[in-house]
Amino acid sequence: MRPRLPQCRMRRPATLLCTVLACAALAACARQAPTAATSSTATTLPAVRYEAHLAAGGLPPAGGALHNPHPGDAAVAKSGALLFAAMNCDGCHGGGGTGWVGPDLADGRWRYGGADAEVFYSIYYGRPRGMPAFGGALGAEGVWTLVTYIRSLAPPADLPTESWETK
Amino acid sequence: MWRAALFAVLVCLSAAGGRTQAAPAQGATGDDGQWTMPAKDYAATRYSALADITRQNARSLHPVWTFSTGVLGGHEGQPLVVGDTMYVVTPWPNVLYAFDLTREGYPLRWKYRPEVSANAIGVSCCDIVNRGPFYADGKIVYNLLDGHTVAVDAHTGRELWKTQVADLGEGETVTMAPLVVKDRVIVGASGGEFGIYGWIKGLDLGTGQTVWTARNLGPDSDMRARPDTFKPPYDHGTDLGASSWANDSWRTGGAPVWGFISYDPELDLFYYGTGNASPYNPEQRLGDNKWSASVLARRPADGALVWAYQFTPHDNWDYDATGTMILADLTIGGRAVKALVHFDKNGFAYTLDRASGRVLLARAFAPVNWARAVDLNTGRPVLEPAKQTGASRGNVKGICPSLEGGVSPSSPAAYSPRTHLFYTSTNNLCMDYAASHTTRLKGTPYMGVNTPYSAGPGGYLGTFMAWDAVSGRKVWENHEPYPTWSGALVTAGDVAFYGTLDGWFKSVDARTGQVLSKFKVGSGVVGNPITYRAPDGRQYVAVYAGIGGDWALLSGDTRSDDPTDVRAPADYVPDIARHTSQGGIIWIFAL
Repeated sequence: MRPRLPQCRMRRPATLLCTVLACAALAACARQAPTAATSSTATTLPAVRYEAHLAAGGLPPAGGALHNPHPGDAAVAKSGALLFAAMNCDGCHGGGGTGWVGPDLADGRWRYGGADAEVFYSIYYGRPRGMPAFGGALGAEGVWTLVTYIRSLAPPADLPTESWETK
Repeated sequence: MWRAALFAVLVCLSAAGGRTQAAPAQGATGDDGQWTMPAKDYAATRYSALADITRQNARSLHPVWTFSTGVLGGHEGQPLVVGDTMYVVTPWPNVLYAFDLTREGYPLRWKYRPEVSANAIGVSCCDIVNRGPFYADGKIVYNLLDGHTVAVDAHTGRELWKTQVADLGEGETVTMAPLVVKDRVIVGASGGEFGIYGWIKGLDLGTGQTVWTARNLGPDSDMRARPDTFKPPYDHGTDLGASSWANDSWRTGGAPVWGFISYDPELDLFYYGTGNASPYNPEQRLGDNKWSASVLARRPADGALVWAYQFTPHDNWDYDATGTMILADLTIGGRAVKALVHFDKNGFAYTLDRASGRVLLARAFAPVNWARAVDLNTGRPVLEPAKQTGASRGNVKGICPSLEGGVSPSSPAAYSPRTHLFYTSTNNLCMDYAASHTTRLKGTPYMGVNTPYSAGPGGYLGTFMAWDAVSGRKVWENHEPYPTWSGALVTAGDVAFYGTLDGWFKSVDARTGQVLSKFKVGSGVVGNPITYRAPDGRQYVAVYAGIGGDWALLSGDTRSDDPTDVRAPADYVPDIARHTSQGGIIWIFAL
């Protein structure tokens, strides 16, 4: 796709820092484990899988559900935007999550799946090639706050073709 | 059989003489035709006395060999040629290739594939680059992105030692080219975007053991600065590297080492530049922030600091000083001067006395408006108040140069003792700088700035130019449509070489800049050309193609290997992706 968003051309894009808020979020969340949001399935492995994963025999692995406690909550998404800057997420993923050293989070395309639980997994446990695990620093509630923000980013129309010829 | 015999000869030479180079006999030119160090020689001149390729015949240069490295990161740095072998280090995962230059098609003798942590990719501010290996004492020595230095047997490819020097968890990666002096391997770490406590280390060439560690900032004891031997030309007092940082901010003050190092055997001093102060919001580290954005001169044996000079006190603009320090003997005002010449990100070209560190001349080589001049009595820039930055100042607009630098430290200059001129790529970009408060969280970026770029004056974005470091003036320049990001090479044939971001490799007349030949090499050039005499007796020129470095971030969409990561074009270079995609190609040219 060709995200027709303002071009990110900065070393560290749009920083909306709110340290006070971030510290509050840290303090509130630091002690929570990921299962806090899924206490009913605490003994079951979460059924996180990438959208693109194929299941052998057509049988996806069984597991408990991991639910975002704040799906679509605009106020939580707003807090998540502040947390996105406070935790230096924008230092790698760009202001508005439009991509920098790390991949674009606002283009509707996902390396590790774009469902809430999949994004949670990526942030909480980290990913290969340098995505740090933020579960320890943020706790489950902090990560869900970020997930809610990232999922609130509206992807632009996906245009797989870019042409330099006169249109 | 023949190869085995040659190896035996080389090994004997090495063992008998304790030589650091298994060099063939020098020709009449005084140049042995090899390229054994990143910058050709200790003085970092990137000048070769080979003269088969001349201003007259360079028009017939054409490619004779290519090889895909199989890696798509930015191909900064340069190959080495030692004896009849060419050595190439790729960006992460830092593969080392050894090509046999005696056989048709240059097949590999071997390749060395170290295990390098993929986590390093996320702790690299600006692509997963490597600036090249160093040959010494039968070993190829280079750095791995994940914070290790390795020595590999130049003949067999066998790993001799591997030492962890940097800590990924602190935000340290290693991209720089090491320097070997006698039995000391000198290395430093990147991480000015992660709030590291910057350092440089000396390892033992034989064992890889760390012999000394010196910080680039902080208390004198950490910096290996003793009052009896540390004599900075403009500063007095102790612990300047700590007292010039409010609230002990030196502890996370950056000052990384990610460029090239030079060495003067007579003075027994090595010279290197330090990077930006961390974070980018200068109000979180009030004071001069010594010795970030500085040049430091040390003794290789024990790392003792002898002098230091700060180009950009209290760096407000991410003006790293990690660019190369070229050592040249110049005649200034009728006096012979052991000079050090440096093109800084801050837009000034400096000519220093390399024995004392005093500034002899500092003139802008690119559009500069953050300072009006450099005061030669104090060594300090005369600042333009309207271009100072900080969170309380909001968005400060129109600062030149941009934080990509008047020239990138990744793009080392060259010096010809024939023309007495210095040759360098430049960028013609300006920026807005909106700083904001930021918090350090280990292993994540520690920056606090938003800096959109714009084109500088003149309607071009880069140049390749010739500079007179005695008079401080530009002798000629070629405009380029995109920022110019390759290193420079100049030869005794009075031919200079450079590559462009849109993928042209050019040879030019070193006296006029006239383009003599150009060839489209498949990807933008951010590497540094070299020249050498091969076993067949002919002169060749080699260079990498493979856009990257900051241009992995700034070009918009120049990659094609990840369907989940597609970028919009950058608005000031909207069509760069029309001319280049990522690559990773070694090119060799000949007449």
